[in-house]
Amino acid sequence: MGINEIVLSVARKLHTSSTYHKIKHFVHDIFTNEKNVYKKYFDLTIIFLIFTSIFILVYEVKYPVPYWMDFYDIYIVSVIFGLEYLLRLWVHNDLSEMVIESYHDAQFLGKPFSAVAPLKKGLLQKLQFMVTPSAIIDLLAIFPTYRPLRLFRVLKLLRYAKSINQFVDVLSNKRFELLTLLLLLVFIVFTSGIAIYVLEEKVNPNINSVFDAFYWALVTISTVGFGDISPVTVEGRSISMMIIVSGIAMISFATSVIVSAFSEKLGEVKEQRVIEKINKNDAFLIICGYGQMAKMFLRKENLRDDEYIILEKDIEKVEAGRREGYTIIQEDASRTEVLKRFNTTHAKVTVLCLIADDIENIYITLTAKSISHKIKVITRANDSSMVKKLKHAGADHILMPTEVVNNMIHIAITQPTMYKALHAVLTGKDVAQIYEIHVGMHHTLIGMSIDALDFIDYKLLFIGIHRNGTFLFNPPKDTILEPHDIMLVIGRKISVEYFQKMHREIG
Amino acid sequence: MGTKKILLFGYGKHGRPIAKGLKEDGYRVRVVEENFEGYEHALKDGFYAVHIDISDDDSLRELDLQEYDQVVCVMDDEHYNVFLTLSLTALFPDLYIVAISDSIHVTEKLRLAGAKRVIDMYEVSANRIYNILHRPVATELLKEFVASKEGISFMEMEIPEGSFLHGKMSDEINFAHYDVLLVGLVDFERHQGFEFVTAGHQHCLDAGDIIVCMGEVENLRIFKKLISKKEL
Repeated sequence: MGINEIVLSVARKLHTSSTYHKIKHFVHDIFTNEKNVYKKYFDLTIIFLIFTSIFILVYEVKYPVPYWMDFYDIYIVSVIFGLEYLLRLWVHNDLSEMVIESYHDAQFLGKPFSAVAPLKKGLLQKLQFMVTPSAIIDLLAIFPTYRPLRLFRVLKLLRYAKSINQFVDVLSNKRFELLTLLLLLVFIVFTSGIAIYVLEEKVNPNINSVFDAFYWALVTISTVGFGDISPVTVEGRSISMMIIVSGIAMISFATSVIVSAFSEKLGEVKEQRVIEKINKNDAFLIICGYGQMAKMFLRKENLRDDEYIILEKDIEKVEAGRREGYTIIQEDASRTEVLKRFNTTHAKVTVLCLIADDIENIYITLTAKSISHKIKVITRANDSSMVKKLKHAGADHILMPTEVVNNMIHIAITQPTMYKALHAVLTGKDVAQIYEIHVGMHHTLIGMSIDALDFIDYKLLFIGIHRNGTFLFNPPKDTILEPHDIMLVIGRKISVEYFQKMHREIG
Repeated sequence: MGTKKILLFGYGKHGRPIAKGLKEDGYRVRVVEENFEGYEHALKDGFYAVHIDISDDDSLRELDLQEYDQVVCVMDDEHYNVFLTLSLTALFPDLYIVAISDSIHVTEKLRLAGAKRVIDMYEVSANRIYNILHRPVATELLKEFVASKEGISFMEMEIPEGSFLHGKMSDEINFAHYDVLLVGLVDFERHQGFEFVTAGHQHCLDAGDIIVCMGEVENLRIFKKLISKKEL
């Protein structure tokens, strides 16, 4: 059996093994997927190792360290970092798949299969990964025996400092300007360094080499001016004056480039932050449109900052919302990529379409439902003809403000007393509200009859049971409670809470 | 209650369904419209309608406002509602005016203008959303309770003179026996406000008190007739 066959059979075995894929996927997920639940713990562990290692490094400068510390630093931390490095390298690409693919291609073309080409390609990709800055830092951070190298462990933190990544991102947008600046800097340092070397090497005792000259030029142009080397001749001083002036110009240019890069990107960066923060929650609201209804709703709800986000297209409304202190970003909720930025796979997301334009609400509903059916959509409809369309689009709840208010007015006219009761129940005033008591799978209430529950003692009014989609109003006293029943009661919050404390889920 | 007279200003997106609902419930509705199109619609739908310029106090005076139990301002333009409320209260300070509003600011203005009850379209809708999020089942049912003319609903009823309920304590009567639930009541002996039974107070029921009950509409109707009897 030749080397080609061995490689092929190994690749096949790996490629068909589901455990191999599962493990690889899991590792890859932990390294790269921000939404992975375990990533947080993995990151924290690595950060902990880095800090302890740095602590030992600093401590070592002045005091002798005990043996176990050294052992920990040299072996444990290094081994874990080494493992991490190898795993990162491993999951970077899939060699087995490349081999299999190339084998299939070879078969298709009817030419002899050689494992060299795909392996070469795959290994080259791994090599490309190895020369990326973060991979180099990871590699250098493994080796602890040469002390200064441990400083790279500090740099490893960069991977976890999101702000620095964003900083680099922002700056990379101004690559062209910064590169131009750098070239100019190199040019000036080079020419003035050479000039000072030629002019003063013989007369200035502080300039002994070309390196000294370049060092002086950079210190001067940056306006730092340590003063350890200073020109002594008239010619040298004239050159100094020139580079000082050009230095000021260059620094102000660099500053303006960086500032403008940030001011351009600041909004985006902020937005990203907000979305990341909200994505950490396991349930949140996406409110589309900041109008009268959204305002009323927010006033009523008193949500925490990370429980909701408002998406609004109109920049003026966005500004108004910001002034009120709400979490609001300027985005078009009907675009798929906007909604996809949210953690819709793991979190319980509810989309509220509160835009005055029905067509947009329909579009958002469709967008949300096409991303995931798990997204709950509550939408407003202004025209009764839209209700059917919204239902078709998959909206979970549809409400028509005009219909709701017309009903309320009707009740306010025909039954003013009841209006008060209903208003209290609907708006959740302190007096009493309707509450749902959910009976779970293992609830102490299961098997109990209504008669045995002393609602009157709890100062609750029992209305009925919602069971299997139907509502049993005022059921007979001997009705036995079953799992998944929802009891409806009217009463004050404290009564309901007390009731639920006495009767609750077991386990 | 069936002979109450309502004066309805506005026959647009709100006025039309409200007028129809009130008519079904046996109210006598008179529609006032400034917009000629709305006025024609009202006529076509069989309402006793007038077409006037609401900015003209004289034509408002001619409407015989005191004859009506309630005045409802549901014109499509919120500014008109505020203006109208103001004009009406200036002419007749004791009018019971119900008005619709579409923002907090308008609500505030309507209250200042003298409307007795202001219903904010977005507030009630926002509440509805809040309830959908927190109490989905109850909300769905409540919606049915409120909107439907059959099935389970609320009903308020005044205890008539000579009712068997008169003089009884509220917990003495087994309402469940009549397939209705007592939700709350207005006890004129205690105070004017509505109180839920769950507040835990004992009430002595008197003629004139208003009770709010919940149940099947049929049972509620039967119960309403029942309470006018002296004995059972």
